[in-house]
Amino acid sequence: MWANKFPRRTFLKATAATAAAVGAGDVFSFGEWMKQASAAPVTKIPSLCETCSAACGMWVHVKNGRIWKVTGQKDHGQSKGQLCARGHAGIAQAYHKDRITHPMKRVGENDFMPITWEQAYSEIAAKLKKVLKEHGPDKVFFSHNPRPTNAFYWPRLMAAVGSNTIQSHHSMCSTGRDVAYKWTTGGMANADLGKTKYIVFLGRNYVEGLSPSSAAGMAVAHGKGTTIIVVDPRHSNACLFATEWVPIRPGTDLALLLAVANVLIAENLYDKEFVDEWCVGFDEFKKGMKDYTPEWASAVTDIPADTIYAIARGLGKNRPTSCIEQGYKAPNGCNYANGTQMFRMVACVNALLGNYGQDGGMKFGNAPKLGSLDAKKYPAPPKPKAARCDGVGIKGEYPLCQPNQGIVHMMPQRALEGKAKAGFLYRINVARNAPQPELLTKGYKALDLFVVCDIKWSESAMCAHYVLPECSAAEREDLPAIVGATVTMRTAAIDVVHSETKPLPEIVTELAGHMGLEKYFNFTREEVAAAMVKPLGVTLEDLRAKGTVKVKAPAAKPLSFATGSKKVELYCKAFADHGHKPVPEWEPPFAKADKNSFVLIHGKQGFLSHTTSISDPYLLAVAKRGDLERLWINADRAKKMGIKDGDLVEVASPQATRKVRVKVTERVHPEAAYLPAGYGRFAPFLKTGVGYGINPNDFTPCRAEAISGHAMMMEVTVTIRKVGE
Amino acid sequence: MPRYAIIIDAKKCVGCYACQVACQMQNELGPENAFIRFEDRETGKYPNPKYVMVPLQCQHCQDAPCVPVCPTTASHKDKNGLTMIDKNKCMGCRRCVPACPYNARTYLKDEGVVQACNMCLSLVSKGEEPVCVATCLTKARYFGDLDNPQGEFAKQLAKAKQLRPDFGTKPTLLYII
Ligand code: SF4
Ligand code: SF4
Ligand code: SF4
Repeated sequence: MWANKFPRRTFLKATAATAAAVGAGDVFSFGEWMKQASAAPVTKIPSLCETCSAACGMWVHVKNGRIWKVTGQKDHGQSKGQLCARGHAGIAQAYHKDRITHPMKRVGENDFMPITWEQAYSEIAAKLKKVLKEHGPDKVFFSHNPRPTNAFYWPRLMAAVGSNTIQSHHSMCSTGRDVAYKWTTGGMANADLGKTKYIVFLGRNYVEGLSPSSAAGMAVAHGKGTTIIVVDPRHSNACLFATEWVPIRPGTDLALLLAVANVLIAENLYDKEFVDEWCVGFDEFKKGMKDYTPEWASAVTDIPADTIYAIARGLGKNRPTSCIEQGYKAPNGCNYANGTQMFRMVACVNALLGNYGQDGGMKFGNAPKLGSLDAKKYPAPPKPKAARCDGVGIKGEYPLCQPNQGIVHMMPQRALEGKAKAGFLYRINVARNAPQPELLTKGYKALDLFVVCDIKWSESAMCAHYVLPECSAAEREDLPAIVGATVTMRTAAIDVVHSETKPLPEIVTELAGHMGLEKYFNFTREEVAAAMVKPLGVTLEDLRAKGTVKVKAPAAKPLSFATGSKKVELYCKAFADHGHKPVPEWEPPFAKADKNSFVLIHGKQGFLSHTTSISDPYLLAVAKRGDLERLWINADRAKKMGIKDGDLVEVASPQATRKVRVKVTERVHPEAAYLPAGYGRFAPFLKTGVGYGINPNDFTPCRAEAISGHAMMMEVTVTIRKVGE
Repeated sequence: MPRYAIIIDAKKCVGCYACQVACQMQNELGPENAFIRFEDRETGKYPNPKYVMVPLQCQHCQDAPCVPVCPTTASHKDKNGLTMIDKNKCMGCRRCVPACPYNARTYLKDEGVVQACNMCLSLVSKGEEPVCVATCLTKARYFGDLDNPQGEFAKQLAKAKQLRPDFGTKPTLLYII
C-alpha cells in the first residue's frame, strides 16, 4: 500500500505563499523525448462535438486510423479554440461499449434481438401505417434534441405522414423562458456580456452549464471589472467570477424581479423614453408593481432588502449598459411553477432598462440564412393539418407554447391516456432526464409503436419496440449549420466502427421509402448540404477542409419586436386572452422547505451534460475521483441534524427514497439541497455509470406548468436523514 | 536556453476538468490515470463563502525527491530541467510515488510503469503550447520560458509563487492563489 502523504482536501490548508525562487536550469534538449514519441503520422479532420447543445467546432486528430485526441476550432463561435472535458472525452464514444451495433427488436422485458435493417424498416412501416389508419396522424409524435441533420430529415418524414407533433427537449430545458420571451418581446435576446457594466445572473451558470466561449466570456468580463451579480441558492463555480453571490430561497426569483421593477419605477430609474416609444401597458404594469417593495420581497426571497435596493439601483444607474441575463433552465426555464411569469419579468425589467438592441444590453441575433432545396425539383410534403397530441396550440390546453418545442415529457402520460399511439425518439433520453421515470417507462411501453434511434443504449431505448443505431459524430458527415457569422459542418473523421450503424439521412430516407413516401426524399444529403451553403458563397469542399468558414453577416436590422403589438408587452394581451395574468403577479413555487425538509435543487457540473456523459469512462472517473455525485447541504443545518461531511443519507419524497453521500458546505442556501444532475443511470444494457449517484428526477412528479407546459423540475421537497457514516 | 514552465492562476480555475481529460488524451492514458489532479478549499461562512480549486501536476522540482529514490534512473532530470520518466527504464517499483510530496505521479497498471506530466514536450518542441494550457476554458494557465518570459506569461510571473515551498523541492510550476 502506497500511502498518500498529503490526502486530498487537507493539502491546501498548509499552503504558504512565499516568493518564487526558481534557480537556473540545465540546457534544453528534446533528443530523448523525441526518440520516444510515436512516429505515427497524424491527420486532422474537422468535426463538431456532440456531447452538448453547443456543438463546438473541433479537429479530430487521427493516428493509425483511430481517434487520438481533439482540439478546438479557433473560428467556431462556441469553442473559440478550446474544448471542455466532455468534448475531449466524448469523441471516443465511437468506441464506446454501450454502442448500439445492430438494429434491434424488443422480444421481451429488457430483451432484444438483432434484426436486419430491411426487417426493421418493413415492420416499423407496417405498424406505423396501421396506427395512421386506425387513429390518424394526430396520435403520432417525434421527440428530439434538435441538431442540423435530424432537424431537417425527421420533421420532413413526420410531415410526410401527416403528423404535426414535433417536440424538442425544451420542456425539460428552456421552454418557460422561450414562451415568455416570445409573447413579451417577440423572440430571444441575449445579454451582451462583453460590453455590459452591470449584469445579474438568475441561476444561470456560465462555467458549469457551459460552452467554452461562455466560460471564457465570464472570466474576461470579470477581469475587466464588470459588476456581476449571481443570484442562486447555490454558490456555483460561476461565483468565482461574481462581484457578489446573492443566495435566494429556491423558486422565488419572481419576487426579486417584481421588487426590482418596483424600485426602478418608484425611484424613476427606468428609461422613460424607451418605455414610451417601445412598450405597451406601462400604466397597468406600474400599478401591478406598486406593492412589491424590497421589504416585501425580502421576506419572500430571504435576500436582505438593502441588497434588493442595491441591485435595482445598480441596474438603473448603469442603464442601458446593464441587464438581467436571459437565463436558461433555472429558475426561469422549466424548473418552477412560476417560471413563465418569472421570465416575463426578466423581459420586462430589461425593457425598463431600455437595453434592447443596445451595446451592453440585450441583443437580438442577426444570423446569415442557409439556403434550401429547390421545391420544384424536390417537392416538400404539404404542411400537416393534424392536431398535436401534446396539446400545443390547442385552446384550453397549451395554446401559448412554442410549436417547435412542444411538451416532450408528457408524452408517456398521454400514451397512457390513449392520446398518443406511435412515437419516434431521436437522440433524446426522456425516460431518464424527465421527472418520474417509472411513469415515463410505463407510458412509452404502452404505445403501439415506439422507435428509438440513437448511438448508445439509454433508458428510453430500453422501452422501444425497435432501436435503430446511428453512427457517432466522428463517423459521419452532417448538414451545415450557422453559428454567429460562420457556417460550420461536421465531416467524417474515421470509418464506421460498427458496420451495421448508419448516418441519420440514410435511415430516414430508407424508412420513408418503405412507407411509400420516397417522392419527398428524392435527393442525397450532399444535395441538401450544397443547397444550404449555396447562398453563402461557400462550397462543401471549403467546409470539409476548414470545418468552420466565416460568412458575411447581414446588415444589422433596426430595432423591432415581433409581438402582436410590435412592442414590448409589459401588459400581454395574448396572456389575458387565454386566462393568464397579463401583468406578472407574485405566485409562490409549489415546493417550500420547512424545518424538516429541503427544496431539492439541481444543476450541471462543467464536465457532464445530462446522463449521457456519466456513462463516459473518463468523465465517470472524474466524478469518482472527486466524489462529485454527493448531495450538498448547508453546514449549519447539517450540524443540527447530526450529519457530517461524507455521511450516507436517505433522501425521500412521496415519489422515491434513495441513498447518497453528502457534501456539507457553506455554499448552499439552508432551505435547499443541491443534487448535481446527470447521475443515476438505470438502463440494464449500459456497461458504464449504471447505479452511480442518484438523480433528482426520481423524486419529482411528472407534471406540466400551466402556461408553457414545462416540467417544473425543481418543484419537490425532500426529507433527509442520516443512515450511515 | 529555455526553461519551460506553467503558471496556474487558481483564482480563475473553474474546476471544469478540461485540462485533466485533454492531458489524458494527449498522453493516451486510461480513465483511471491522470497527470493532473485537483484539490479544493472552502473557507468563510454562509452567506459569504470563498472557494478555490487548485489543479496539481508534476511541479518539475529542481530538487526533485522522486529522482534519487529511483533505482534504475528512469526518473531523472532532463537536460532541459524537466523531471522526466523514461518508460523503458521504469520497472514499476513505485518508490517515487510516495516520494513526491505533491502526489503528482500515477502508476499505469497495464504498462507497469509510473508516469507524470512531461510538459507536453513533443508539442512544445514544435512551438505549440502544452495541451492543458491550450484547452483551459478560462485561460487560467500560462505557458512560457522562465529565462525569456514574454507576453501574458511575463505579466503573471510577477504575481506567481511556488506551491508549498516548505517542501524544499524548488518547484518550477508556479501558482497564483
Ligand atoms: S512534483 Fe513530484 S514528481 Fe514532480 S518533480 Fe516534484 S517530486 Fe518529482
Ligand atoms: S503539460 Fe501536458 S503532460 Fe503536463 S499536465 Fe499539461 S497536458 Fe498534461
Ligand atoms: S481547464 Fe482551466 S479552468 Fe478548467 S480545470 Fe483546468 S485549469 Fe481549471
